[in-house]
Amino acid sequence: MTKKTIIQKKQESYLMASLTSVSLILSNVALPWTENPSSMPNYFIALIVIFVVLKKANMSLSKLFIIGLLVDLFIGQILGQYAFIFISIYALNFLIVKILTIKTETQILSLSSFLILISFFVLWATSQSHDIIIPLGLLFHQFILTLFILLIIKFTINTFTTK
Amino acid sequence: MAQGKNSSNLKLFNRDTFPLFYFLILFILCLIIMGLDYRYKISNEIKAEISIINTPINFLINLPATLLLQVKSNFVTKALLEEKIKMLEQNVYHLSINIQENKLLKSENKLLRNKLKIHKDFNIVGVNAEIILPNVKNGYRVITINKGINDKIENSAPVINNNGLVGQIINTTKEYSEIKPLTSIKFAVPAIKDSGKENVILYGNGNGELEIPLFPESSKLKVNDIFMTSGIDKIYPKGINIGKVIAIEPSKFPKFNNILIQPFSQPTSYSQITVLKIKK
Repeated sequence: MTKKTIIQKKQESYLMASLTSVSLILSNVALPWTENPSSMPNYFIALIVIFVVLKKANMSLSKLFIIGLLVDLFIGQILGQYAFIFISIYALNFLIVKILTIKTETQILSLSSFLILISFFVLWATSQSHDIIIPLGLLFHQFILTLFILLIIKFTINTFTTK
Repeated sequence: MAQGKNSSNLKLFNRDTFPLFYFLILFILCLIIMGLDYRYKISNEIKAEISIINTPINFLINLPATLLLQVKSNFVTKALLEEKIKMLEQNVYHLSINIQENKLLKSENKLLRNKLKIHKDFNIVGVNAEIILPNVKNGYRVITINKGINDKIENSAPVINNNGLVGQIINTTKEYSEIKPLTSIKFAVPAIKDSGKENVILYGNGNGELEIPLFPESSKLKVNDIFMTSGIDKIYPKGINIGKVIAIEPSKFPKFNNILIQPFSQPTSYSQITVLKIKK
């Protein structure tokens, strides 16, 4: 296994910081083609899932916890909600990678999709709106949009970081 | 030894140990934080304090609209302005007549109330503000206004405009406040038909309308009937226009209809609203 150089680590950290800023701005803007705001992609879940799956920016539990708390402060409904989701993503990814070998693009995408769905479930379970039933159509729409954003972020990571 | 090194290089299996203890601590910490925040609303206080960071973000989001408006206003011709002034003068004239009529009605109303021994305070006191931009925050539609804690705006205060009810304040920072529009999902307001009958609760459906999910089929209600606040919740003052019935559809349950109501107020950017004071 090749160890990452200091320059690579710096690159990834800078990219993470800039993508977080972009996500923060985009989370506050409605897309022109979506009438219902609930069908907006979840930029932060897409960002964290792909960074955790690709093992970029040296993501650790404490880092994710702090990022989660910051996200909660800016766009969250309740403090600790996103921190909870992010550490759950980390734990799940860790356990899956321990059991299965994730190497190909399809495997990465499948794992990312699974983690996004689990995140949405945790988001729904801890939501302050106390919805009992998940609107499946809306969930599917949001899932597709988030997955699309994840692919864009993945492409950005591959373009701006050296392997 | 060499074989061991090679298998490690292949990285077929993840041999790292999972930080279970650390994870459990953070997991419990998250639950405690969520519980504390739900109980004491800590995040709202912190959000109010960190509004200094939110201000540039809001500025950035509003920048294209602000620039467009400024450029547009620079190209307004003199003739157009004169026409607008004339129109406003006419409006002022009509409104002054209405004021006279209202004064008479008010005094008559007072007399009647005294005779019927009905004591009700209809004074609407509030702070005027301007909508900066109706936007969406992480999937939730909110309206941002240019007044905050510094202007004595409080959380959960009702918001109205000249057309009717707009929503409720859900978050206040020093310079900005956020309104949950009345058409948002989970928004509920007690209402009454303008004829004084049919006390109902209207719910926002998230698609720009309000609805009454299960309305008895036997009740007399027709399209274009108007609903206004009933004031029984003691949050929204009585008599504020909400909207009119646009559709009466059969629901899944027999003998019940689903009523759709279109709100009168359609708040847009740079329009005026009034944040009412909470009666304590």
